[in-house]
Amino acid sequence: MSVPSSFVRPTTRPDEIHRLLTDVERYNPSNTVLLEDYLARQCANPDSTSNHDLMANLALLKLYQFNPEMLDHDVIRRILAKALISAIPADFNLCLYLLTDEVCKDASIAKLLALRESLERAQFVKFWRDMYDPEDEEEESVVDGIAGFDNGLRRLILAEITATYQKIPLAAVQDMVNLDEEAVLRLAKENGWAVDGSVISLPVKSEVKASVINENV
Amino acid sequence: MYQETYDDEEFVGNIDVVADSYANVDEIEDVDVDDEELLMQAQAGVQSIPEQVRTFLGYLHRNLQNGNVNDLTYNYENQFPKLSEKFYAKASWPEPQYVAALVNDDGLFLILYRELYYRHIYSRLHPSLEVRFRSFENYCDLFNHILNSDGPTDLELPNQWLWDIVDEFIYQFQSFCTHRSRLNKLAEEEVALLKENSQVWSTYSVLNVLYSLIQKSNIAEQLRTQQQGGDVAEVAGEFGVRPLYKMLGYFSIIGLVRVHCMLGDYTLALQTLEGVELGNSRALYTRVMACHVSVYYYVGFAYLMMGRYADATQAFVHILTFVTRTKQYQQRQQVDAANKKVEQMYALLAVAVSLSPVRVDENIHAQLREKYGDQQHKIQRGGEEALDVISELYLFACPKFITPNPPNYELPEVVVEPQAYQLRTFLREARLQLVVPTLRSFLKLYTTMGIDRLSSFLEMEPAELKNQLMVYKQRCRQVKWDGGSDLLSGELVPSTDLDFALEMDMIFIAESRVGRRYADWFIRNANKVQDLVVSLENMQKSVVANAGKPQTPDTVVA
Repeated sequence: MSVPSSFVRPTTRPDEIHRLLTDVERYNPSNTVLLEDYLARQCANPDSTSNHDLMANLALLKLYQFNPEMLDHDVIRRILAKALISAIPADFNLCLYLLTDEVCKDASIAKLLALRESLERAQFVKFWRDMYDPEDEEEESVVDGIAGFDNGLRRLILAEITATYQKIPLAAVQDMVNLDEEAVLRLAKENGWAVDGSVISLPVKSEVKASVINENV
Repeated sequence: MYQETYDDEEFVGNIDVVADSYANVDEIEDVDVDDEELLMQAQAGVQSIPEQVRTFLGYLHRNLQNGNVNDLTYNYENQFPKLSEKFYAKASWPEPQYVAALVNDDGLFLILYRELYYRHIYSRLHPSLEVRFRSFENYCDLFNHILNSDGPTDLELPNQWLWDIVDEFIYQFQSFCTHRSRLNKLAEEEVALLKENSQVWSTYSVLNVLYSLIQKSNIAEQLRTQQQGGDVAEVAGEFGVRPLYKMLGYFSIIGLVRVHCMLGDYTLALQTLEGVELGNSRALYTRVMACHVSVYYYVGFAYLMMGRYADATQAFVHILTFVTRTKQYQQRQQVDAANKKVEQMYALLAVAVSLSPVRVDENIHAQLREKYGDQQHKIQRGGEEALDVISELYLFACPKFITPNPPNYELPEVVVEPQAYQLRTFLREARLQLVVPTLRSFLKLYTTMGIDRLSSFLEMEPAELKNQLMVYKQRCRQVKWDGGSDLLSGELVPSTDLDFALEMDMIFIAESRVGRRYADWFIRNANKVQDLVVSLENMQKSVVANAGKPQTPDTVVA
């Protein structure tokens, strides 16, 4: 099973950004504007196969590391939110390594870290609850301004479910993806799952069989 | 920036020197009363240099001028350490201005001498802030000469020396960053000096040097052309075709990898190695053992931080096997110098293998068990203790992290600690990754198990267990390098041999085992028998030849 690598140049990356990333220009502080614009375009794009350019975002974080006066917390929030739903779980951490304690104390970033905690531990119910907390005073959710976030997230959760489960109660899926029954049934139909009463059967995985790896002589 | 009032006990002499101008003992035109004393002290200083050292310096100077790289290698790798040990084990080498008198003030020689002189202070003594500043200036002089002269310099140095220059340059940079971040230990004058001279040892200047060396030598194009089998001399350019520039450019690539890791940018570190073929036994980094070890250390470390434990393990095992096998063929001090990194890598390997169990080569496995067997057990048991052990190993083995900017001198209470931050971020990953070995040890024992049973074994709620099983699934898939030139690429593959599926509340477990490998054993033994047969036949032939007796036709073999 191969997943598009976060490090291969995405087809949607414009040439000027690519040049920037492979050159000494990446250290030039005036390029933060270019990279921030690029991030905004990524956030506006709801198509999750083409809207995350990790290398470009890491370059932006590095510029912030070298020029802390240019640091924009909102930009960081969006970069982290995008990394949160990336198919490769290590992406989020790679972004974190370029930050500092100070930055992490910012309210929205701290909240993202906490959300990530629940997501990583597959505590999906808790995640949805905390993310869209009705008691939250902030008017915007911490993942605001990111097109396709919910869908990207659901795709991630579904991938985990299909990897782990062979049969799972319908209600459990509803809780995990935060959708009502009808929406889940629609999802099941789309993915070709068999629904039997209140139990969903996921496609049989052929790898789950005891096998002995022998060498070819 | 002149430190006339700066009290510095470590300086061997007591002369009030102004940076960049070293009094030449022979030319004393503008002498006034103060300088008289200066002159006397200078003469005394020159006299105090032991005969052996004077001879050594003479040879060094001559070899440098004539470009005798082989002799220089002997001077540098044998004589210099021996003399350091004998005369200067606890002191610094003679001051550069005294040595100037011995070599007729040869500017280039003095720059190189000063590099050695400061390097010695850093390794045996404690460098003062003034020493740090001076050393930086010296490096600027050196790199200016190499990069900004009107054309390539004629200088030629042995590879080990070139590597040591780059290595030490980065080490002093890191040492400086660490020193200035300890605001509460700095004296007021020091803080004032640091504020005034923010360009000294600045991150940008260090990066500038490394990138300039890389660009000047066209090393990236050279490596690419070499891989494709083209004519390297064509793309090398005027500077890059000379070994000094080529090797400095190459070592700067490795140096950059180190700097990126120190700043926490692991992806850029691996990206920088594009073109450096890892696994190629004739790659340039194999020429200097310390460089070879360094490359693999930083690659392995970067993979470890990225959560690619299998790749990290592979890198560490590769270099550790190499070091063990070639130890007897390497020079003593090279082995010693690499030793610290080797120990650190065993520690990191212990962490990687405990977090993501894989089979490793027998020898390495034995060494690992001997050094860190206890720690590995503790990690696999999980819980808080596991994290403590991981922290301990990590802090022993990680590079010294730095921040690119000077601290805020006005706010000494705000302490930025990149070391602690990186550790904490890594630990969060590790804590989750620990789910794999702990669950695996239970799942290994069964082919089917109920959720309730397992949750009671692990003492957690069934709902929580289901979450953990999902985490296990996610974590047992890693990106694994496919051996190409791009170290960042790779395929997502399962990294453990244990797989399972959940049906409602029942877990079905499948384990894939590696079958007995008989091919290798048969091949080896078949070869042995073959050798035996051949040697017997040869013995028979020689008996026949020596006997000289008439033989029956069928034993006379051609």
